[in-house]
This record gives sequence, C-alpha cells and structure tokens, in this order.
Amino acid sequence: MRKHLTLLAVLVLSSVLAFAQTKLITGRVTDQQGQPVPFSTIRVKGTKKGVSADADGNYSIRASIGETLIVSGAGIELKEATVGAGSVDITVARKNASLTEVVVVGYGVQKKSDVIGNIASVKGAAIADNPVQSFDAALGGKAAGVQITSANGVVNNPPVFRIRGTNSISLSSYPLIVIDGVPTFTGDVSMSDAAANPLASINPADIESLDVLKDAAATAIYGSRAANGVVIITTKRGKRGKTKVTYSGWVGQTKATRLWKTLNADQYMMIKNEGVANKPGATAKFLPTNGPDGKEINTDWKDLVYRTGISHSHALTVSGGNEATTYFISAGYTKQNGIVVKNSFERKNFRFSIDHKVSNVFSLGAQAGYSNEINLAATSTGSLPGQAYSTGGLGRIALILPPNIAARNNDGTYNTNGAAIGPMNNVNPGISYYNPLVLIENNHTSTENNHIQANAYLQLKPIPDVTLKTVYGVDYLLSDNDFFSTPLNGDGYPGGEAINSNLTYKRWIWTSTGQYDHIFADKHTVGLLVGTEQQYTTQLGYGIDRTNVTDPFFTNGQGGFADNVPATVSGNTNGLRTENYLVSGFGRLNYDFDKRYFVSGSFRRDGYSAFAPGHKYGNFWSASVAYDIAKESFFTNSGIGKVINTLRLRGSYGTTGNISGIGDFDSYSFYGTGLYNSNPALNFTNSGNSNLTWETSKKTDIGLQFSLLNDVISGDVAWYRNNIDGLIIKVTQAGSTGIPGLQIPTNIGTMYNKGFEVTLNARPVTSKNFRWTTSLNVTYNKNMVTSLAPGLNNILYTTSGLEQTSITMPGYSIGTLYLYPTQGVDPATGHRIFLNGAGEQIEYGHETASWTYVKSGAAASKINPAKDKRPLFNVIPKYYGGFENTFRYGSFDLGILATYEFGFYVYNGTQASIRDNRFWNSSVDVLRRWTHAGQITDIPKIVYGDNISNGSANPISENAQKGDFIKLRNVSLGYALPAKMLGRIGINNARVYVSGQNLLVITKYKGPDPETSTNGNDTQGQGVDRNSVANGRVFTVGLNVGF
Amino acid sequence: MKKYIYQLVILSGLALAAGSCSKAKLNPSSSTGLSDASVFQTKGRIANQVNGLYAAVRSGQFMGGRVPIYNDIRGENFINETGNGVTGLLIWNFTVGGGDTYINNTWNAAYLCINQCNLFLDGMEATGNKVVGDDLAKKYNAEAKFVRALAYYNLLQLYATPYTKDNGASPGLPLRLKGIKGSGFSNLARSTVAEVYNQIISDLNDAESGLPADYGDDATNVVHAHVNTAIALKTRVYLSMGNYDNVITEASKIVPAAAPFKAPSGVANALVSDLGTVFTSYMTAESIFSLPYTGAAEAPAGQSQLGSYYLPPKDYSSQGSGEYSLNAATGVITDANWKATDVRRNYIFTDTKGKKWWTKFSSPSPYLDWVPILRYSEVMLSLAEARTRKANAVDAQAVALLNAVRQRSDATTTFAPASATELINDILQERNIEFLGEGLRSIDIIRLQQTFPAKGAAVAVAPTSQNYMFPAPSSETAVNTLW
Repeated sequence: MRKHLTLLAVLVLSSVLAFAQTKLITGRVTDQQGQPVPFSTIRVKGTKKGVSADADGNYSIRASIGETLIVSGAGIELKEATVGAGSVDITVARKNASLTEVVVVGYGVQKKSDVIGNIASVKGAAIADNPVQSFDAALGGKAAGVQITSANGVVNNPPVFRIRGTNSISLSSYPLIVIDGVPTFTGDVSMSDAAANPLASINPADIESLDVLKDAAATAIYGSRAANGVVIITTKRGKRGKTKVTYSGWVGQTKATRLWKTLNADQYMMIKNEGVANKPGATAKFLPTNGPDGKEINTDWKDLVYRTGISHSHALTVSGGNEATTYFISAGYTKQNGIVVKNSFERKNFRFSIDHKVSNVFSLGAQAGYSNEINLAATSTGSLPGQAYSTGGLGRIALILPPNIAARNNDGTYNTNGAAIGPMNNVNPGISYYNPLVLIENNHTSTENNHIQANAYLQLKPIPDVTLKTVYGVDYLLSDNDFFSTPLNGDGYPGGEAINSNLTYKRWIWTSTGQYDHIFADKHTVGLLVGTEQQYTTQLGYGIDRTNVTDPFFTNGQGGFADNVPATVSGNTNGLRTENYLVSGFGRLNYDFDKRYFVSGSFRRDGYSAFAPGHKYGNFWSASVAYDIAKESFFTNSGIGKVINTLRLRGSYGTTGNISGIGDFDSYSFYGTGLYNSNPALNFTNSGNSNLTWETSKKTDIGLQFSLLNDVISGDVAWYRNNIDGLIIKVTQAGSTGIPGLQIPTNIGTMYNKGFEVTLNARPVTSKNFRWTTSLNVTYNKNMVTSLAPGLNNILYTTSGLEQTSITMPGYSIGTLYLYPTQGVDPATGHRIFLNGAGEQIEYGHETASWTYVKSGAAASKINPAKDKRPLFNVIPKYYGGFENTFRYGSFDLGILATYEFGFYVYNGTQASIRDNRFWNSSVDVLRRWTHAGQITDIPKIVYGDNISNGSANPISENAQKGDFIKLRNVSLGYALPAKMLGRIGINNARVYVSGQNLLVITKYKGPDPETSTNGNDTQGQGVDRNSVANGRVFTVGLNVGF
Repeated sequence: MKKYIYQLVILSGLALAAGSCSKAKLNPSSSTGLSDASVFQTKGRIANQVNGLYAAVRSGQFMGGRVPIYNDIRGENFINETGNGVTGLLIWNFTVGGGDTYINNTWNAAYLCINQCNLFLDGMEATGNKVVGDDLAKKYNAEAKFVRALAYYNLLQLYATPYTKDNGASPGLPLRLKGIKGSGFSNLARSTVAEVYNQIISDLNDAESGLPADYGDDATNVVHAHVNTAIALKTRVYLSMGNYDNVITEASKIVPAAAPFKAPSGVANALVSDLGTVFTSYMTAESIFSLPYTGAAEAPAGQSQLGSYYLPPKDYSSQGSGEYSLNAATGVITDANWKATDVRRNYIFTDTKGKKWWTKFSSPSPYLDWVPILRYSEVMLSLAEARTRKANAVDAQAVALLNAVRQRSDATTTFAPASATELINDILQERNIEFLGEGLRSIDIIRLQQTFPAKGAAVAVAPTSQNYMFPAPSSETAVNTLW
C-alpha cells in the first residue's frame, strides 16, 4: 500500500513539474465583425491537447509561449495563432455564411447551401423583445411572401397571416404552425369577448428560429395541410458549456393613435338640429344638459373607452450542459394592458428541454412548455369577427354616442333608459345604444388558456450515416370562458346573463423518421428521409348559459340564476365533441453532384379521418432542381466570378393540400333527434358529401439566389404560381332534392395566386466601430378566382351578418369590395349621387325619402343590390414587404423596421357610421356639409335620420379608400453596457434599449389605420374596417442581461 | 455492439408501432349525431325514424302550420291585419312571387319530408326490414308511404294545376321516389299532375294494406296512420281528382249507410257528439289524423302557429299575433243560415272594436293546439257530395250525412234540399263552416275550379289567372335545369 502511495506522489509531482513549463492561456474567438464564435475547437499544434470554446467564444488552455494554437469549427476557416505573453484573442474568418448556415426543413435540418426549397428564416432574436402577445404578430415585414395584418388593437387577437396570398375561399388560409415538431392550434379559440390566440402560449423570447416554408419543394412533405405554407418554430435548447443565465424584460405603454375626431356637444347639437330642421315631420330635438358642475355636458366617449395601457414582460432562462447532457429552462411572466379599458393579456410560462447522449449511438431528450394565459375584457370591443354591429361594441359607441349626454346622472347614478343609455334633455333621439360605463364597470368576459406542449424523443445512430428517431408529442389546450352581462344595462338587461364554457383541444402526434446521409466518391451527396406519422386530435366543449339572476350579487355562472340552457359551443347547441386523425407516410430524397447540381424529391401519403371511405387517402409530392453556377470552374475563373460569389438557379413543382376548416364529419350524413308526441324521433338533418376531399394546391417556384462582393450584397428572387383546384364551395341543390339546408360542400372551385418575391441584403459598412446592415423585401402577389360552381356566379360576403361588403366571383380577386358606385354630392341639391346599374346618375333626398334622376329630376327606382352594386375594388395588397436597417456603433445599436403595403383598397365602414344622420355623433368631416345651392363639397346635406346618403345602411364607393401605407413598425435603440464594469458585478453582458412600435404611418387612408380587418382572418371579408378599435402605438424600455 | 442491436430492434419496433395506422381512428363515428349508416341498425332507431317522418310532415313550414294557414287565407274567410309579408300577406292577396322566402320554405320543407320518407323506404329495403321483422316492416313501410302521399298531395294543392282542370295533364311536380344524400340530383323534370296523383293513390293503397287496423291507444290512433287514416286521405285525394266513384268506394269503407256514423272496422272513428273536444282534448274518435304539439319542447316554430295567426292580439283570454281576422263582410260568417245557436259560432270572438276573430285554436303561446288533418266529419261530407254528384239527384244518404254534421252543432236546423244542386251547395257550405281554419278552403275552391272571391283589399282570382296557384319556387327553378 505504502509503495503505491509513493508511486502516486511521484506521479503527481512529476505531472506538476511537467505542467510548470506551460501556463494557462485564456482568450476569445471572434469573427471579423467581432462577434463571438461559439464552441470552436482550440488545439495546441503538434499535441493532442484540445478544448472547446464556450457559447461566447471564451476558452482556456494550457500551452507554452511560442506554441501554436489551431482554431477550427463548423462554419469557420482554420486559423493559427501563436501563444504570447498575454491572453490570446483569435479572430477567425467565417466561411461563406450561406454555405454554413443551417435551415430547419420539414422533419430535419439542412445546410442552407443544400436547400432547394424556398424557405425564409427569421432568427428568434429578431422578434424576442417585441411587445406582442404572440410571435406571429411580430413577423410582419420580416420575410418575403409573408403578410401579417394586425387586425386591431384588441390584445391577443390573432393577426391575419398569409403566405403568398389567400389560398382558400371556404377553408382557412392560415399557415400550418409546427412548434418543435408538433402542429399546434391556430385561430381565435375564445368563446368570450376577449380574443385568445393560442400561439401566445409561446414566449417569443424562447424561440430560436422561425422558418417559413413557402414553395412545394419545402412544404409538400407536410402534404394535406401545407397549402397555406408552413411555419416551423424551433424553441431554444441548451448548449454545451458553462451554465448561462439570462434575464430579459421590458416595460412599456400603449396608446391609441390617429383616432377619429368627433364633434363636441355644441357642434353635435348644431348639426343634429340642422338635420331635424331639414327633415319634415322630424320630432327629435337636441338640447344641452348641465352636468353636476353646472356646465353643459360635453363628453368625449373615447376618453371612457381608450386608455394608456401599461405592459411589462420578464423572462429568465438558464441553460448549459456538458458533453453528454444539455438543458434549457425558462420562465416568463407578462402582463399587457391594451388600449381599450380593461382589455388585457397575462401569461405565465415555463419551458424546459433536456438532451442527453447516452452513447455515441443512443441519445434521447424531452421538452415541455406550459403556459397559463388570461385574456380579459370588460365587454365587447366590437372589433372581433362578427361583432362590428354589436349594440355595445366599444369601438363604435366610443364614436357615435351623443357628446351632450353623460354616463352618469347628476346624482351619480348610471344614466340608463332600459337597456340603452338615457337621452337626458334630448327629445326623441331614439338612442338604442348602451351606456359603456355600465358595461365597463359591471360586465366581464375572459378566456383563460392552459396550454401544454411537450414531446420526447429517442434517437439512434447505429452507423455514422444513419439516424433513426422517434418523437412523441402532445399539445393540450384547455380553454375556460367566463362571461357576465349585467342586468343593469346592455345585452343582459333586465335579467342578467352568465355563460361559462370549457373548450378542450387535445392532440398527440407520433413521428418516426430514418435519415441516411452519405457522400459517395467525394462528389455524390445523397440524403434520404423516410418517416411515418400519426396525429390524433379531439375537441370537447360544453357549458351553461344562465339567465335571470336571482340577486344582483351574483356575477358568474355558478351563482344564482333562474334559467339554464346549455351554452352553444362552436354553433352546437348541446356542446361539441369531435375528433380527427391523420396517418401518414413520407419520404424525401436529396442528391447533389459536387454541390453544383441538386435534385430533390419529396412524397407524402396522408389518410384523413374526415373523409369518407374510398376518399381518405391522398398523395402529395414535389420535385425540385437547383444549379449552382458560381461553383463551376468556368465561372469562378472568369472575371465575373470574382464579383459574384453565389449564383444559383432553382425550380420546384409539387402539390399540397388544405384541410384546415373542414368539419370532422363533413363527409358523413347525420340524423338528429327530436320529439313527436313526446316520443323520440330521428330526422335527417345533415347531408354530407361522401366525395369530399382536400383542396389541392399546385405550386411552381422558380428562383435565383445570388451574392456579390464577398457577400456584401446578397439576395433572392423568386417567381411563383399556385393553382388551387377543388376549392370547397357550398353548392346549392334544388329544393326538391330534400337535402337538409340544400347546400353541400363540394370540391369544385378554382383560383390562383401568382407573383414574385425579391429579397436584398447588404452590409454597406462593416468597419470595426461601425456596422450597417440593410435588408429589403418586396412581394408582388396577384390573386384571381377563376371558377366557382356551375350556375353559381358569385358568393356574397356579409360583414358581421349585416352588410354585404364583398363579393367573390370569377375574374376578380377574392373578396372584392361590392359597393354602390357614388359620384359625390349634387351641388344643386346637396344630395348624394349614385350611379345605377344602367349607368344613370340618380340621387337620394332623405327629406322625402325619394330617388330622382340627377338630370331630369324625374322619379327614379331606388337602389337595388342585384342591379346596382358592382365589384369595384381589390382588397388584397399587390405589393407588400419590409425594409430593415441595423446600425451598430461602438456599444450602440439601432434597428429600424418599416413595413409597407400597396395596391389595395379598404372599405372604411366606420366613416359611414360617423356620417350617419340619426342621433349618432359624427366626425368633424360633417362640418363641411352642403348647406347652400352651388356649394361643392363631399358631405351631403344633413337631413335627420338619413342613413343612406352616407353609406351607413348600404355600402357606397365613397367610403372605399386606398389603403396604401408605409409604417414605421419598429425602432429600437440599444446600448451594451461596458463589459469591464459588468464583470465586477458578475454579469457577462447587458444591454438596455428603448423601442417604439407603430410610430408613424404614411397613408392617405382616413381611418386610424389601413392595416385592419374587421372580419379577422376570414378569406372573403378582408379590407373591411367597420367600427373596430385601432392599433395602438407602443413604447418600451428594456433590459437584456447575461450572467 | 450487441447492445446497439438491441437498441436498434427496440427503436424499429417503436417505429413500426408508430407507423401502424389505427383503422378505428381513421373511421370515427360521431358520438353526438347518429350517422345515416347507423339509423337502421336497431329496432328502436327505426321506430324513432318513423316518428321522425311524422315530425317532418309536422314542420311549421309545412302541414304543422303554414300549409293549413295558406289554404285558409287564400279563401274568402279571413282578412289580413298586419300587412306582414312574413305571415302570408302576399299569399293572402295572391301577389306572391317565385322568389318569396316563404313559398320556398314550404316547398323545401315538403321535399325534406318526402326525401326522408324515400331514404326510410330505401333503408328499410336494404337492411331495416330484416332488423325489425316482417310485421313491423310492413307497418313502418306503410306509414312512410302514407306520409309521402300526404306530402305530395298537399304540394299539388298549392304548386300545381288542379287535376280537375285537364285531368292531370299539366306538369305537376318532380316526382322523387328514391332517397337523396349528397349532390348531383338537382335535375329532374316534372311528372304530370296525373302521374303524381297515381303515385299518391298507389302509396295510399299500399298504406291501407300495410297499416295496422288499430294501435290500441287513443293517442297513437290519432298521431300515427292506421287503415282508416289511409282510407280517409284517399277520399280527399279522389275528391280533388273529381273521381266520385272512388270517393264513394273509399268513404263507404268507414262510413255506414245509416246512423250512427261510426267506422265499422279498424279504429272506431265516429262523429263525436261534442265538437269542442276535438280541439281541446285532441284524442277523440272523430280525429282520424292530427299533428300533435305536446309540451313546450315540441312547440311549433315562431310565426307558423295556427293560434298566433287567428287569435286576436288583445282582449281575448289567449293572445295571438292577430295576423288574420274573420271577414265580416263577405266571409262564411255572414251566412244567415249558419244560425247563432250553432255551437261553431262560439268560436267567433268580437273584440272591443267590433272586429271578429276565429278562436277554434285557443291555447295560449306557445300555441300547442294540435293541427287537425283528417276528421271523420270530412269523410262524411265527402261521401255525401260524391253520392249526390254521382246520382245527380237528391240522395237520401247524402242528406242524412249532411244533417248529421249540422245537427251535431245546431240541432235546430234540418236540411231538406229540393235539388241536387241545392244539396251540393249545402254540403259545400257545411264544409266551409265545419272546417274553417283547418286548411280545406282553398283545396275545395281549386278542385271545383271556382274563382277565389275578392276580400278586403284583395281582388278576386279566377282559375284562368296566372296566380291561381303558387308560382314555381326559385329554390327549384334556379337549380333544376329540367324544370
């Protein structure tokens, strides 16, 4: 034993002696731009000694002065450096970025240089600090082909999300969103008046990358769900190295911008009484009322509805790992108050992931994200789809309630008149709208989502070229809705109503893939993917709708109410219970020769439960080629080859499908239950289409990628065309067929989208102290409906069930504005001039509610929708995109993002509302009304009760306006605190910033914001702005810290 | 290495498991709706489907409300009070167009019922007959045919040229006899009126032979068809065809030659002594077939209830919507021979302004009055009319039948007509009084090719007028290219 100890001592001593000749060298590996290069390998030349740099490029190694260090790693050129007296910082050259960047593709990753499909990648960091509820809202302008329309200022309302145009008429046109391999739920899942975008469960700060798959080559592997494009979200995972802790947080405020200017009380009474004087027989009178202070009441209802919302967000992450195990843990909290009083979003989220390498062959991992989101609103904002004409919709009543009345009587009680607000001293105004103060103070409506997204995988690499992987994931979304409407006023008057309902979405998915990669004879690269997948989704919803509260004390559905019925869930009066199942096999083969000639093909076979036997399975495929000319020796050797680093032509063609929005049992026929003399009866209630199947998109994409001057300038140009066949149209059947409802969804319509995308990136300045990068993307898209169904000339779209604003018909783009053409105001009479179907000018005089020819004054027929309305204006922007500039000077950074859309119209229905000549308040526009013969103006004579001349009762072309805009969407200015100072308090890096969103919009549109959608994501009802609240302007101050 | 092989085997096994598709999940069945494939699987569901056929014919848009109402307001006995196009104004004044929502609704509801009958008959033939066994199959198929016949007959009375005009040679209706699910069946030319009547008779003959003679309980005997129901409907159908021989043949099966008037076989349908019970207790011997509304859960659809149309909006114990008042100027209530002592006059209510209202259907909102479709007294009067027309002379049995109906309500009157014409007029007037509000008036006018009399602001409409019958509904003509 002693002998052994002696030997050990000798060994230790000798090793100490040996090491005494070397010293600990520390340093940092950075690239030419001074950015850290993580995880490079540093070896001492001529020895076997080697270490890895950490995530920030820091390393330490024992070496002697004079020895040479060799730095190597993925994406960097080999670099040697000699060990000197001090620390050894090493600057390495990055390899051509496009050659080394990795891109997430369907069921895998590929080197960016090997990808043929059209994929736009957005780094998570680019959106992490955006004060948005969900990441999709931050994607606007970030990638060519992606169009994000923020519908309004209601928090957590899903934006309108389109990739390369609108690709369906009856189904959804929202892309497939895949989060860490699990397709998730999209759209507003709320059944209350608060919006609830389920994508808000992902904290944007937890996202590593967002990859937008656009063409068939990229999307066909997702088969029947890919027609609208696919967005793959990859969340952050741990990296080898020291434990890294980060905190990021911001606090901000949001405020409504560009609100309409409305009349004050005096102006209101002047205008309305003028209207009464102009209308024979009108009995209304508009008279002032004094408030408690003895002064005339002058209420701006907007002050009651809008506010400055304070928001804040905090996220903490811990990550790290060793050779075998890496982990990532994050926790986040945010509370975001919207511009509308009591409208807020609150999220608590937790996420972890762990990856463990058991051996060189076997590895496994798991991740889970849980979030709790509370979406709150006092009452209807009137801004979500279907709410535009809500009698209590705050967006509208903020504008149209008379300014000469108050929310409270002088004794402090609420000013009410039954369900409506009281008229005070006004005589016979017939006010039917609610008192917003009562609703705001007494109603509440909320949707609370508990969302769990988790998956686990096993991976085996039995031989170096083969990877076998199986992943099981779940996505459970539990949504609780709570709704209370006070008996005091509004919808709940006089009994009060409470609705509680639950909606549960559950999905599991099991994906198994095998990937084989091999390079034969140095030049033939082959990649083969095969896989299977099953996805099973259930939806369960039920609730109770209680009316007639027994005591005003009760304000929720568990309190005392007299009457109960089941709550209607997604149109089902007894609740909802449904399921669907998708089973698939897929594969992809990539081949390239010498990285010059690329060929790829993908295939997917999907079986979907919603379709009838015999129609369940469908095949989707793509084929693509690319040619890297810049790799040819004739090119590199030529003069142009010195200027152009990359020049690649690519093309793809393939098919994908759309099933998003097909009912789970739409292909089946059902009998419903009823009673006949108290005995059960079965009746034929639903005739399915047993031939129903997906809509099919045939996508062509031809593109050119290039980079010049050592990548100082790079870009991508693509031309695309998507022909959609078998669009589902509800085809009307003859009455005598006896089909319930007489309509059957049928795959029959056709439509196309075509266009081009240009992306240009440049780094005009890259000096050590100053860097400027700029990126511009432009998308041109043309949408055209080419056929509907035999005998079906058009499909009319009704906004919120009341106003036919839009038409879909062959030869026009989807949802074209369908309006009565108007031609100003007749200077002789002050009447609105309409153009009838025969092309004759007729005018409307509300004094006698009569129609006359402008020329002759003879009586004319009144306007008739079938004869006189016309498809007039395109609502889908022809051009859209973003322009982003980043400047870095020393420790300062400045980012500016502008987005723009051109070539479309918006139907400004709100303008119609606030030019209505009933008791409604008006915009200050009406002050330039027609008052005397010969006066030339755009506002007709005020005649009390007139809701026709201004388009309030019938959509007129006067209210359609060009929507073209350029918007300063995001500006952020940051400062990185000095590392020395931070080092003393144990902080690695810290950055403070200020940022602003939606700072400026340049547009001729007269409403608050041309970026709007009263009908939400509906495919046929875009470009309508009817009584919605506007988007807010946000300022934030934030901090990012790394420990 | 061995370890890795095991791992590979495990992983491959998992992958295979993952890859194996679940047939059950790929072919899910709704747990909240019964699929068309499942409704013939059990006896219970088939029985419920039969109830469903009656429920379909009971639709407020069809026989459960609007059709009886339309057949009355087309006649001269009612005055439109509300000027509401939703509640029959345009039907009352004969200005309705093919695009009118309500005549389309009725058309669609009728064919929904017909299609349901067709689907039922198809499904029974395919599987249902075996599930329920021969006896029940025979009965159920007969009931389906009865309902189909009732639906086609009533469509003809509104949308097609009366048979009596040209012996049914005019285009009638698309005659659908096969169940339809799915698209592609819109186009079908109209069969002639005669062809449709032939089908109705054929269905009713089948029904007569397949229906039970008696269900054994009063309710079912009124709300489900039995042998006598099929016979009673045949008398009405033959009467509309002007085929008096067959009216006599059919009616004689259930109406004896002499009093007491009571069906000799099957359900003991009879002329009850107290007419009032027919409209209050509903399940009487006189009620050969009625459509029930039992309990709030079965309440008829809004603006389709008999009570809401005819009851006054105020003053009376049950309030209606006051859509139609009685025509006090030229309606049947002006008939001096309809004496004040007649109990049927008790249904006339005079409000404080002197306006008269018909209160035969008097239950309050939600108006759960059963809708009488076939009454024994109708068969008696049809028999009387047919015998008289056939004999073209004063027929003693006819006079006895007429007097039996009148004297039930007014014992003081005894008809002693001097001529066949007088007798026929007496019978027709008795029908007008007896069935006021029960949806027979227009049917009687058109079968006799009479002119619809003027009333209030509405002008008279002759059989030669374009608007004598309903126009072709646009929900059919816009899509059915073979119309």
